[in-house]
Amino acid sequence: MGVKLLLEKAHVEGIRSYEVYRREGGYRSVEKALKTMSPEAIVEEVKKSGLRGRGGAGFPAGMKWSFIAKPEGVPRHLVCNADESEPGTFKDRYLMENIPHLLIEGLIVASFALGSNDTYIYIRGEYAWIVDILEQAIGEARANGFLGKNILGSGFDCEIHVQRGAGAYICGEETALIESLEGKRGNPRIKPPFPAIQGLWMRPTVVNNVETLSAVVPIINMGGEEYAKIGVGKSTGTKLISACGNINKPGVYEIDMTISVEEFIYSDEYCGGIANGKRLKACIPGGSSVPILPANLLLKTAKGETRYMNYESLSDGGFATGTMMGSGGFIVLDEDQCVVKNTYTFARFYRHESCGQCSPCREGTGWMEKLLLRLDKGQGKSSDIDLLWDIQRKIEGNTICPLGDAAAWPVAAAIRHFRDEFEWHVTHPEEAQKRNFGLAHYADPIHVPVG
Amino acid sequence: MSKFSETQLAEVKRLVARYPEGKQKSALLPVLHLAQDSFGGWLSTETMDYVAELLNITPIEVYEVATFYSMYNLKPVGKYLFEVCQTGPCMLRGSDDIVAYIGEKLGIKPGETTADGLFTLKTVECLGACGYAPMMQLGKHYREHLTKEKVDAIIAECTKNAAANN
Repeated sequence: MGVKLLLEKAHVEGIRSYEVYRREGGYRSVEKALKTMSPEAIVEEVKKSGLRGRGGAGFPAGMKWSFIAKPEGVPRHLVCNADESEPGTFKDRYLMENIPHLLIEGLIVASFALGSNDTYIYIRGEYAWIVDILEQAIGEARANGFLGKNILGSGFDCEIHVQRGAGAYICGEETALIESLEGKRGNPRIKPPFPAIQGLWMRPTVVNNVETLSAVVPIINMGGEEYAKIGVGKSTGTKLISACGNINKPGVYEIDMTISVEEFIYSDEYCGGIANGKRLKACIPGGSSVPILPANLLLKTAKGETRYMNYESLSDGGFATGTMMGSGGFIVLDEDQCVVKNTYTFARFYRHESCGQCSPCREGTGWMEKLLLRLDKGQGKSSDIDLLWDIQRKIEGNTICPLGDAAAWPVAAAIRHFRDEFEWHVTHPEEAQKRNFGLAHYADPIHVPVG
Repeated sequence: MSKFSETQLAEVKRLVARYPEGKQKSALLPVLHLAQDSFGGWLSTETMDYVAELLNITPIEVYEVATFYSMYNLKPVGKYLFEVCQTGPCMLRGSDDIVAYIGEKLGIKPGETTADGLFTLKTVECLGACGYAPMMQLGKHYREHLTKEKVDAIIAECTKNAAANN
């Protein structure tokens, strides 16, 4: 059993309530922070912890906090990004549903560190019932003196407000989220200015993911240095992985980033192996936007070394032979799944979610969706595969926000590693409608070049 | 034209109070949710104009937002809206079959509403329930691990509730 920092108490009976959460040691970090630490000291602890943003980008959280501008007389805001929408990702929901006070506790400490008196949780609109759970927890925290005026006699005032989105993946991008919180369309802003300088209502703002803010609680309790001892290299602490697809035990798992991908998939503690006794074909380990890898490159790097569940190891080999940790949305495909079809659903997703501001993304995602549908239906031409490659190249890096890249990468990786499956759809159009291309050589041991 | 009740107006006031003075536009998304829930599950132009007036913003500011976000319905929908996820992780667990089965059972295609106005079938993109696939949203809650038997039970439950409310 690995270390559990976030989910250790998540299944204690009644942990959703303040009484049980408090009895189990909850809100100790608020007491420690507000009574014995300065805001600057808290930022230092988070820096020391090596905590990286858990929403997908992996940017060091303490550094992000230290960027916040502090102009005289201008209020600052902390915004919690609970707009969890990356296909394959359902970890923030799990935290908020099961142990909502952990997020509230982390938010109070972070608000104090950043000087935010009005903090907002922006939650995806579909998670409507979770809004009630969070508001209940906020009400209990306020009733017990952890929110409101002069918290624990520290002189610090704080309120947390829950704002529901209304169905838009793009609002997970921090500047689009800010626009949405201002009551506008979720169109990302051009940076700079960065939110830390001019964010919500043009005031200095920090936007952090649910899991990132929850991790502040153990960091303050145990100290940044102790937290940094867990994990490996720049992958410190624990990470929540939401596992789904063709596995025996889909669900949310907390890992300490030292386990191998193979152990994560096949061990009974985690995914419990591939469902229905089938074989592993491919995996998208960090949410729909990260590169898909065939089984052989997933379990071992191109150098033939074991691949581990952490930021560095998953990205070993770059995009040529590696992938990314992303949001931890771990999607597993068994031998009966079609990579062309799966890639088509992602392309359709990104076309649906493109905000339409930038031409390469607005037009390109539509083209990719049409081409992939055509290929999947056995109506494609061989040149369509090259055209797809060309389009994704023209989207990547040419848009205001990372949605363009997120739409391009899955298509690029699918063609890079599964080109024969795409070609088979062109050369065997009728057969492709009746059966699947299958496992092919994707699970064969990889050839390791000598020297 | 429908207007908010006193209780609902108090809720609008509570929402607006969460933002700084003059930033009442920030309440637009929550107020549109309230309007949709209160006025038959969709937003008519009249409703949007009413919301604009309440928040002291221009109607175009409301239309811009209402047309951008997928949860706002701009035309009438059935009493029970089945929003079935069809993105990768759900597809891998058989969401295509669930969509087809619901369509067959209700005699409608995605995007359509049954003649009695009870059911609308809609396909949607990822709702963050990938580990509990296939799934759909029905009202405020998710229905997960869907099977044909579960779909039968959900349709029977809705039909029964509708009859009880009439």
